[in-house]
Amino acid sequence: MHQLLNTINEQSWTAQRVDTVKADERALDQFLKAVERRALRMADMATGNREEALDLVQDAMFGFVRHYAAKPSAEWAPLFYRVLDSRLNDWHRRRQVRSRWMSFFSTAPADDEMDPVAQAPDLQEPGPLARVAGKEIGQALEAALVRLPLRQRQAFLLRMWEGLDVAATATAMRCSEGSVKTHLSRALAHLRRDLEAHYE
Amino acid sequence: MNNENDSAWIAQATTALDESARDLDAATLSRLNRVRQAALQQKRGRRISWMLPAGLASACAMVLAIGVWHGAVREPALPTLPNAELVHSVNGSNGADDLEMVANEDNIELYQDLDFYAWLDTQNQEHDG
Repeated sequence: MHQLLNTINEQSWTAQRVDTVKADERALDQFLKAVERRALRMADMATGNREEALDLVQDAMFGFVRHYAAKPSAEWAPLFYRVLDSRLNDWHRRRQVRSRWMSFFSTAPADDEMDPVAQAPDLQEPGPLARVAGKEIGQALEAALVRLPLRQRQAFLLRMWEGLDVAATATAMRCSEGSVKTHLSRALAHLRRDLEAHYE
Repeated sequence: MNNENDSAWIAQATTALDESARDLDAATLSRLNRVRQAALQQKRGRRISWMLPAGLASACAMVLAIGVWHGAVREPALPTLPNAELVHSVNGSNGADDLEMVANEDNIELYQDLDFYAWLDTQNQEHDG
């Protein structure tokens, strides 16, 4: 009889566990839905290519779910951006290595596809930011953000746009809080200088 | 623009960034949705890998527990039978009689010729009479 009661308790526990798992999955879905667009825009600015940006966001989502979905939801935001930041850094590194090899093996670029300059985001082409703003300011902001070094741009976007505090940004960028402050300070200085004419 | 005015232009910048994220085209939003669902599906797949054995183990434990429980309920019923010892001995004796009858060849022949012995008995009674 005790065994039967234990089994019934065990099945009840399993049912509760399934309910908990479903609730966790809903929370995870809501979280990913909340961050996916900003994550894509960050990847857009880093790569200058929508398809590559989507691939990076996909990698980041898969990596986040695989490694960090079991963590408390309060920790999800910095951990998700940590994975995304890692993917962006990897992409940037691969891109630099490829550019170096291409410049080493060919004195002149064979075609536009392999030309790093041609691959760079076209600052004259109005991006989503400029299209939305429909103004010179939007275009200038997009261009200024794209021109920022990756680490400075990530510090600015995570702190000012995503609203992470210094500690969470440090977690996301895998660096010290002091480094976050330095990157952010430099980013603000660059943006202030680039946008000065538009905001006066 | 100086450091004191940072908050103003940063607010404008983040508003512009918010709008750019909100107004993504339908194809991009569809792709993002598919990516999100695929990530969640990956999580479901990992969960099923431990839930299936756990469910099977629970079902087996349930069946085993019911079997044990039924056995435990039947066993106490035996002492309540009236005079179980007598029933046992009666059943034993019936079995022994049957065994003796089958084992003894003479008895079998006797049972096979019962009609003859019945006729013989009537003849004897007529003679006596």
